[in-house]
Amino acid sequence: MMSKLGRGQKDKVQQFMAITGASEKVALQALKASDWHLEGAFDIFYSQPQIRAVTDTTHLEELYKRYRDPDVDMILVEGISLLCNDLQVDPQDIVMLVLSWHMKAATMCEFSCQEFIGGLQSLGVDSIPKLREKLPSLRNELRDEHKFREIYNFAFSWAREKGQKPLALDTALGMWRLLFSEKHWPLVEHWCQFLQVRHNKAISRDTWSQLLEFVKTIDPQLSNYDEEGAWPYLIDEFVEYLTENGIVPSRK
Amino acid sequence: MNSQSQSQSQRRKNFKIEAFKHKVELDPKYAERTWKVLEHAIHEIYNNNASRLSFEELYRSAYNMVLHKYGDKLYSGLVATMTAHLNKIAKSVESAQGGLFLEKLNHKWADHNKALQMIRDILMYMDRSYVPTSHKTPVHELGLNLWRDHIIHSPNIQARLQDTLLDLVQRERTGDVINRGLMRNITKMLMDLGSSVYQDDFEKPFLDVSASFYSGESQQFIECCDCGSYLKKAERRLNEEMERVSHYLDAKTEVKITSVVEREMIANHMQRLVHMDNSGLVNMLIDDKYDDLSRMYSLFKRVPEGLSTIRDVMTSYLRERGRVLVTDTERLKDPVEFVQCLLNEKDKHDKIISTAFNNDKTFQNALNSSFEYFINLNNRSAEFISLYLDDKLRKGLKGASEEEVEVVLDKVMMLFRYLQEKDVFEKYYKQHLAKRLLSGKTVSDDAERSMIVKLKTECGYQFTSKLEGMFTDMKTSEDTMLDFYAKQSAELGDGPTLAVQILTTGSWPTQPTAACNLPPEILTVCEKFRTYYLGTHSGRRLTWQTNMGTADIKATFGKGHKHELNVSTYQMCVLMLFNSADGLTYREIEQATEIPALDLKRCLQSLACVKGKNVLRKEPMSKDISEEDVFYFNDKFTSKFVKVKIGTVVAQKESEPEKQETRQRVEEDRKPQIEAAIVRIMKSRRVLDHNSIVAEVTKQLQSRFLPNPVVIKKRIESLIEREFLERDKADRKLYRYLA
Repeated sequence: MMSKLGRGQKDKVQQFMAITGASEKVALQALKASDWHLEGAFDIFYSQPQIRAVTDTTHLEELYKRYRDPDVDMILVEGISLLCNDLQVDPQDIVMLVLSWHMKAATMCEFSCQEFIGGLQSLGVDSIPKLREKLPSLRNELRDEHKFREIYNFAFSWAREKGQKPLALDTALGMWRLLFSEKHWPLVEHWCQFLQVRHNKAISRDTWSQLLEFVKTIDPQLSNYDEEGAWPYLIDEFVEYLTENGIVPSRK
Repeated sequence: MNSQSQSQSQRRKNFKIEAFKHKVELDPKYAERTWKVLEHAIHEIYNNNASRLSFEELYRSAYNMVLHKYGDKLYSGLVATMTAHLNKIAKSVESAQGGLFLEKLNHKWADHNKALQMIRDILMYMDRSYVPTSHKTPVHELGLNLWRDHIIHSPNIQARLQDTLLDLVQRERTGDVINRGLMRNITKMLMDLGSSVYQDDFEKPFLDVSASFYSGESQQFIECCDCGSYLKKAERRLNEEMERVSHYLDAKTEVKITSVVEREMIANHMQRLVHMDNSGLVNMLIDDKYDDLSRMYSLFKRVPEGLSTIRDVMTSYLRERGRVLVTDTERLKDPVEFVQCLLNEKDKHDKIISTAFNNDKTFQNALNSSFEYFINLNNRSAEFISLYLDDKLRKGLKGASEEEVEVVLDKVMMLFRYLQEKDVFEKYYKQHLAKRLLSGKTVSDDAERSMIVKLKTECGYQFTSKLEGMFTDMKTSEDTMLDFYAKQSAELGDGPTLAVQILTTGSWPTQPTAACNLPPEILTVCEKFRTYYLGTHSGRRLTWQTNMGTADIKATFGKGHKHELNVSTYQMCVLMLFNSADGLTYREIEQATEIPALDLKRCLQSLACVKGKNVLRKEPMSKDISEEDVFYFNDKFTSKFVKVKIGTVVAQKESEPEKQETRQRVEEDRKPQIEAAIVRIMKSRRVLDHNSIVAEVTKQLQSRFLPNPVVIKKRIESLIEREFLERDKADRKLYRYLA
């Protein structure tokens, strides 16, 4: 099949496979559908439900058993440590968050059997090497605006203590630092400091989700910040804090 | 034929002049002759020789002329004749010297009118038949026009007339007496000649001259007069002008001349008058100068922006004065004095508005808004107003009649209405009422109830339901005690007499209960009561509030002096210890009674350190209580009163930490109210943007307090967290109600 393609097209197929981790067959499908435009092909690929590549369930079960905790039918901290080791990633690496999102994991630092197996299936992988290959494309998903928002909001429930409604401050700070180094927000450190000094309490979901909107719409000099903008009060106080401390130009 | 008809017509009874049915040629010479007759008559009339003339003859002459188509000749002859006469008259008037000028003019005018009337009568047929058809001016009007043109507008008369008239007015304004009757006749003459003649020849120049006169005079006055005197002068001038008009000017001139005076004397100097040092509006207000204020009001009312000028200056004065009052730290030391001061200010300005400002509603409103402004500048106003009421209801209104009580309470209600934080007032009022009720220190139950009714009318049932609950508890407690003693008298024997007030939690202000150790005699009877009470009310729980009770103790001092001491429960616990010991250290007392430290120190201070009430003696004799002190029963205590009151359960101004605490509780109480309002609003509106919610909530709660928008925002977020609301997915400024 590849032999019938022109040189440019062959290149595109190679690129596509390298970036998305998809198989040749999938790459050809997507590029044909997009009339050999690479960007269009990516759109098609990412918007379609994950193509179910053939995965061997037995392999997946073996894999699960490898990481499963001896006493509980869950993958816990040690298992995850091992997984990360196998994948050659740092457990703090943000790609683990993306992976957890795919798994629809309920709580950080643990995966249930269903979450683990179901997640890997939806990614179309059944082995560590295949998963390792997938990691770059998982990282790339953070560049997509919509996906980033979903992952960001997912992170809130995921990082929470079980049975708690708000997110503990320390965890929130850690998550924010992680997330906003990916999507660069110059004020993230100030935000964290502000919260430690002035708030020192858990973070509500509304504050969490509204912060992303704030980061996306308001410029770091706050020139387009509107007091009447129905921002959560913490964000209003943060603006005051920035102004008081001369970090942003004073407003009026 | 004709002659027959002729004789027939002549035989008729009614005398009627009929036209000849055939043309009768009139000899032109006849017309000329007839005219001459009439001309002569006119001369005679003008020469005051009319008595010798025959009216019928002249009338018939004129009639004939018109009939025979000599109307033109007659009319033009009339014009010529009259004109000639008027020219002669003009010369005559012009030659008059000085003051006689006007008189002459007046005289000649009267003559002319008389003449004109006669001429008109004679020429009536012409007036009725010839004049309309040939579109000429009727005789009377003609006569006036000719007078106007040849006399009034004669070059040698016109200016002189105007000058003379204006000069006379000027003289009168500067104090001379002038001939008003003559003036009247002249102005009436001008009016008769046509209102434009009056206006152009007299009124306009009169108004101009008056304007510069008053402009000058007002400038002069304002340099040398104080405000009150100036206004008197202005009023006088105004009245003078009106009187002038009524005496010798046309009525329509009144409004024009008064507006000149108003403009020159008042409108142009308003700001300077109102702000005049030492005599302006503010000084008048301070010194209750009702007359001056009343005058200012009625004068300024006449000019645009006049009243609003007064009102604005009054408002800013009141606001500043009020601001000074409520921030005066000296005055704030005595809350009752402070409130009395406010009431006095209100009374004072109410009186000014009713006496001098005609009860003008806009001024009332300005007064109200000023008071509302400054009363709320001090966040202790609510507390102080409650303390004032407490003072009145505890002793101030003692002996007052029902009407006097109502008057005082109504006045305080007026101040209450100005409060923005009515919920703070409610908290304090409850506290103070509780103390009054429990210490039995209220001047009159009716007065208390009346106050509750007023608060209920103003703020609704919710505001007063708990207060009413307190009264109910007092009454029920009375009944309970009667029943208790009726049923238990045998068992109680000689023990101390107990009077229990059973307070329903929730109606009474919450006090942290600090248990203390009661003396055994008391404990016994208390337990008996508890058993009795829980016997009839089994589901309830009773907790003794030892920090709120009182006791009467009989004490015997040295030399057998007996006194009855009225003390608080804590004080009783301390004193009873001295039945078994003469001296006790602080720590021993503390241990035995378990009264909390702050209260214990206050308690011991009132027992040992107050002159005239020192039933205990302290070593060392310092003013403050230290934990090393030792206390002794003061054998040497004397008082000229048999009954000595040492209790300390009186409402007083809160200390700083107490105030902070109360404020905090108020803020806490506001949160659920704000949330309830938000939920109510969202339930009915379903979807609403942030600013609208804030506005609606503020509106709903403003009768109790002014909610802080930041607090409202926090409550909204709390409701989002608890999933009562959510943000709209598309527009983050919108909130949705979640059913």
